[in-house]
Amino acid sequence: MTTNEEKKKRTEMLVEMRKERRETVQRAQELLKAQQSARKALERALTGGPHSVPQLAQAVNMPAHEALWHIAAMKKYGIVAEAGTDESGDYYLYRLVKEA
Amino acid sequence: MSTNQIKVDALVVGGGISGMQTALDLGDQGYKVAVVERKSSIGGKMIDLSKVFPTLDCCSCITTPKMSATAHHDNITLLTYSEIESINRDGNGFKVQATKKPRYVREDDCTGCRSCELVCPLEVSEDEHEFGRTSHRVVYVPFSTAVPQKALVDLDHCLFCGKCIQACPSDAIDFTQQPEPVEIETRSIVLATGFETTPINAKKEYGAGKLRNVISGMMMERLLAPTGPYGRVLRPSDGKMPASIAYVQCAGSRDQTLGVPYCSRVCCMYAIKQAMLLSGALPLAEITIYYMDIRTFGKGYEQFYQNAKAMGVEFLKGKVARITEDENQNPIVRVELIDEFGKTRVTERQHDLVVLSVGLLPGGNPQPKFGVPVGEDGFVQVPDYNVFPAVTSQPGIFVTGAAAGPMDIVDSIMMAGAAASSAASYLEAGNGSRKEAQRQPERSVEYA
Repeated sequence: MTTNEEKKKRTEMLVEMRKERRETVQRAQELLKAQQSARKALERALTGGPHSVPQLAQAVNMPAHEALWHIAAMKKYGIVAEAGTDESGDYYLYRLVKEA
Repeated sequence: MSTNQIKVDALVVGGGISGMQTALDLGDQGYKVAVVERKSSIGGKMIDLSKVFPTLDCCSCITTPKMSATAHHDNITLLTYSEIESINRDGNGFKVQATKKPRYVREDDCTGCRSCELVCPLEVSEDEHEFGRTSHRVVYVPFSTAVPQKALVDLDHCLFCGKCIQACPSDAIDFTQQPEPVEIETRSIVLATGFETTPINAKKEYGAGKLRNVISGMMMERLLAPTGPYGRVLRPSDGKMPASIAYVQCAGSRDQTLGVPYCSRVCCMYAIKQAMLLSGALPLAEITIYYMDIRTFGKGYEQFYQNAKAMGVEFLKGKVARITEDENQNPIVRVELIDEFGKTRVTERQHDLVVLSVGLLPGGNPQPKFGVPVGEDGFVQVPDYNVFPAVTSQPGIFVTGAAAGPMDIVDSIMMAGAAASSAASYLEAGNGSRKEAQRQPERSVEYA
């Protein structure tokens, strides 16, 4: 069991680490902000139904290779899943898992 | 800081298939062995591959039990995420200084449950295994069959938000970890430092790595593996299932302009293997292999090639001069084709995806640290290759696998046996810093 004393020590340590690595943390925060914004946009597009990567890219105004990167990552962490293919049979469609 | 000390009969440098097999062969004979691997998991290149040629057995199914056997062997000490710093001869043996890099996760406490990974808010590009095609979180377990199955933190992207600390049920996260010195006293050394592949951006004629749908053979291995970034064969520019895939052979070997004049020995066979696997994964896709010569030298390899032809894989003799792309990022291959009568014709063909059959380069230069000479090709020099293929010019230092030169998995495993045997003979003759060989009783282990 973690005591209050240990929790306090940990918090102090994290504050100290953030101070020591200010530039790294700032860079990571910017990356996180951009990533969260991209993910929200993709999730919003997917609430309208399954999309292929080019459809998503168009919907959120993002290069298709970037949309694919996000979809691959979201699939890895269980946020999206495949939902068959489009009419041409050339592209897989993706859907939000929580909608299923 | 206290220095960890390890005393062994053999130190194996590199935890790929050849290093693991050498360690297992020596460990099974009762010798104490340490394996030092610079990455966070053992398994080497083989654990990233889809299937082996010519049997098409699953790579992971062969490698994972060997990884597990290496990690759990009574006679083998495993040091992952560690680098060799220096080697000094000590009598007939060696004193080796190594550094265990900080994972910022205490290995003894981490259970590999991934609770930390699941709460980590930031994802970064997964470059080590997936060529940047997907992500991993800032705190992560490298891959599902990693050995050891332990998390590590990418401190260069950490927000220090503390969520991983709160989520870890065994209190294993430790941001205060420092590099840990390890001193290894060993009687012999086996170099199993493996290979790297020709960089995808090496040839400007082939797009210098800027064309999204021109990928390397290793990346195609990941696309074909069920654990790969997409779980499918999709092209990287837009996720399309490719209907036309081309292979460009000798795209990093037999090429004086790259300083790689030698044949890498595996590219013909891995291209044929991938073509066969693609025929299964994408039954309607057209697959073309542009080649200079097809070299099928091993047991069952020629039959494998003939089978690929019979399956409809198109083999076109000719040298690809240039690869460009159209407005839809479809690669355009400009090639001088040579027909069966030797008549040539220059043509341009469009494909959805092009795979460069990149060659094999040395995994590192062991000369400065180990004093072992390398040849003109950069691989470890073996003075009497025909008689003692694993014996280097330095007494007590042996070599195995692709550290000695380009070779496939079959040959790497065979050479591991040769290296273990040579090292055992050396140890048995009483060589090493300890005057008498301190052998453990032999034991029988079933690991494959």
